[in-house]
Amino acid sequence: MALLTVENLEKRFGGLIAVNDISFKVESGEIFTIIGPNGAGKSTLFKLITSFTHPTSGRVIFEGEDITRLPAHVVARKGVVRTFQETTIFKEMTVVENVIVAHHLRSRASSLGIFVNSPKARRDEERFRESANSIIEILGLDAVRNEQARNLPHGYLRELGIAIAMAAEPKALLLDEPFSGMNPEETDRVVDMVRGIRDRGITILLVEHDMRAVMRISDRILVLNFGSMVALGTPPEIQNNESVIEAYLGREDDELGI
Amino acid sequence: MSSGMQGNRGAVQASNYGLWKSLVLPVCLVIYLIVLPAYFAESRYVLRVITTASVLSFISLGVWLTFTIGRINIGQGAFALIGGYTTAILSTKLGVSFWVCLPLSGLVAGLTGIILGLGILRLKGVYFAMITLSLTEAVRLGFLSGGDFTGSAAGISNIPLPDELGLFGITLIPDFGKVDTHIAFYYLGAVLLILGLAVIWRISSSRLGWIFKSLQQDEELSRSVGINVARYRVMAYAICCFYGGIGGAFFTVSQQSIYPSVFGVLDSLFFILYCFLGGLAFVAGPIVGAFLLFILFELLHGLQQYQQLIYSLIMISIMLWLPNGLLSLRLPAASWRSRNIRD
Amino acid sequence: MNYALIALGLTLIFAIMNVLNFAHGQMYVLGGFITYYALQVLNLPFVVGLVASVVVLVLVGLLSERLLFRRAIRVSTREESTMLLAAGLALLLESLILIFFGEKQRGMPPVISGVYQVFGVYIPAGRAFVFAIALASLIGFVTFMQFTRPGRALRAIAQDKEVTALQGVNINRYGALGFALGAGLTGLAGSLLATVFAVNSGLGTAISIKAFIMVMLGGAGVVSGAIAGAFLLGFLESFGYAYIPGSVTYMLIFAGMIIFLVFRPQGIMGKPWG
Repeated sequence: MALLTVENLEKRFGGLIAVNDISFKVESGEIFTIIGPNGAGKSTLFKLITSFTHPTSGRVIFEGEDITRLPAHVVARKGVVRTFQETTIFKEMTVVENVIVAHHLRSRASSLGIFVNSPKARRDEERFRESANSIIEILGLDAVRNEQARNLPHGYLRELGIAIAMAAEPKALLLDEPFSGMNPEETDRVVDMVRGIRDRGITILLVEHDMRAVMRISDRILVLNFGSMVALGTPPEIQNNESVIEAYLGREDDELGI
Repeated sequence: MSSGMQGNRGAVQASNYGLWKSLVLPVCLVIYLIVLPAYFAESRYVLRVITTASVLSFISLGVWLTFTIGRINIGQGAFALIGGYTTAILSTKLGVSFWVCLPLSGLVAGLTGIILGLGILRLKGVYFAMITLSLTEAVRLGFLSGGDFTGSAAGISNIPLPDELGLFGITLIPDFGKVDTHIAFYYLGAVLLILGLAVIWRISSSRLGWIFKSLQQDEELSRSVGINVARYRVMAYAICCFYGGIGGAFFTVSQQSIYPSVFGVLDSLFFILYCFLGGLAFVAGPIVGAFLLFILFELLHGLQQYQQLIYSLIMISIMLWLPNGLLSLRLPAASWRSRNIRD
Repeated sequence: MNYALIALGLTLIFAIMNVLNFAHGQMYVLGGFITYYALQVLNLPFVVGLVASVVVLVLVGLLSERLLFRRAIRVSTREESTMLLAAGLALLLESLILIFFGEKQRGMPPVISGVYQVFGVYIPAGRAFVFAIALASLIGFVTFMQFTRPGRALRAIAQDKEVTALQGVNINRYGALGFALGAGLTGLAGSLLATVFAVNSGLGTAISIKAFIMVMLGGAGVVSGAIAGAFLLGFLESFGYAYIPGSVTYMLIFAGMIIFLVFRPQGIMGKPWG
């Protein structure tokens, strides 16, 4: 059974159709990338899957359970966690604090327990600290662990965003444009990092523009344009797909006679 | 304590904290609990001023907590009123002992806070401020229109002083009518403030406080890691209202009366101002702010109409020159030191 | 009708500066008192009093913006500071009013005496006159906002400050204009209404709250919202006062408003904040 199934998902805003009848399945352990020109509906699709917005029709099924109408934080609890396009972080906390707070889902103590520092709460904090340390190491944030997040050099913000998402123990991690604005070296590093995350058993969905990275890293690619599905397949299949080329290059090439 | 959570924030802050804990705090406590009341035992006026400032700080601590989730709560006056009327009605109409009324007032206020909070906490910024402001007025009007039940404009008076609190025949707290009431209320206020501060301090330095801070900084991000934003928002707000209710109950019983205009829009604003003056980043902020401003207010009492004028000028000056509060003035020294250590 | 003027003033200031002008009510009172002073004490014609009120309030608005708010916005990272600053300003204005004009309630004879008969209903001439001027000002204001360049600039800033700034509009200058205009409108309202109802120094807070209700109900930051809110409040008030005692009316309005806002936080016409 597929880990994540998206069935006839549609999202309308007034008269505008942002996402139009999209269906696909994501298998466990895949790296599944969604590409398409700007405004194609990629971010909306992410929001629909993680319940940050609800579809006008269609369903999202995760591990056999219909998660379409659940509140966002419950979906996160089920194991579907997203990062944000604008690298959202908790600015007024240090890197370590950011990652520890994000462990919230793994907490076993109640609020009252936290308040009185019960044994459960203390064990929670032990575990969180250890887990945060290992996540920070994997993502290469060790050097800046005690920096205030808002002082972080730009290159680390992306890793912190991912670290935060990882702390929530996702089964499916949705990365929103992780490669944007990166030079080839940084891209390599992030490719390795994403592969590393996948190797730990986390299924990954990506939204991305950087074609080189996409082709290197993806198991399968979904192409969107104007909210509709254009193509779905492996990187070689997509590269040679006519409608994909057309979607990206548009009508101009007809005029040029290509 | 939660030293695990404190982590490695840098040697400087840790040593500041240690200094605070081992030296400054006990000294303050001794002064507050022993020196001051002994020295001013004869001066009812001074005792009353300190007592009032203490409880105002207590109430402001609640408002401080709502600041930590990123909301501007100008409605605390409403909850002080609710708590006050709860105590007034229960003690005059049903003869309930004050020691039961006190926590009940807090609970009633807190529960009202939960119900209201579920609805209004999704609003932010100015909108939330406007609604909480209207809340203060609405509650006042509500009590005004309460007819015989709440005593309308005249309110309720002849509220009995706190009675004896005993357990197994041992008197824990004497009847307030039988001792020097001013000293008695002083200590009641002091205990409330100390306990209140301890609780809020504990909340904000524990992971719960971090959760609140995360709400303040980015609610969407918190949601994405599974934090039930609505639940924690209401939690903070309800605690704030609880504090308001208890504070209101205190004033009701120390004035032995209550009427609808006891807590109004201006008071709600003052609570916020106290937090601001002290510094929103610090738990002790509201206490510093309340004490300073309230004492100042009393000192200016003789100036009649000019009093309000000067008060307003002070308020404006604070906003223009000290928007981060008094306690933040200490930080430049600390950050200078920590920068040196890192280099 | 006058409510509309007040609401508009508030909306304007809010939209431009993202500041909630707590001092709005006090500005209204100031307008009323200045007119009173001009009329009753100096025995000048009403028009002079009216103009004086507006001018003084415009000055107050300009000064506040220039000296106080501009600095506060720059210096502080939190938006609460400007609110508290406005509250401080409110207190300041109120104390000044107390000092200069005293505590007593002041009334004025209607501007025009006599009674008109319109469609079988008797309307005091004074009220009709006030209504007419208010209506004219309202129309003038809306026209200004819709058709003149400064008006359009103000609206653009209200929609999106950053983009407008990028287009070369001097935000500071327009901020001052917005504030001055907002204050002037309120002063006008105060001046006009003082002839119909009396004015006293304690009125400030109540007026501010009414203005907030109007803006919240109608939708903050939008001109049509302020007008809608004003009419709604005026209607609810008259309806309520006719049947229920005053304080209960307002309590119900508050309760209703809170419930309404829970379901529709942007008010009737407002843009979704968020």
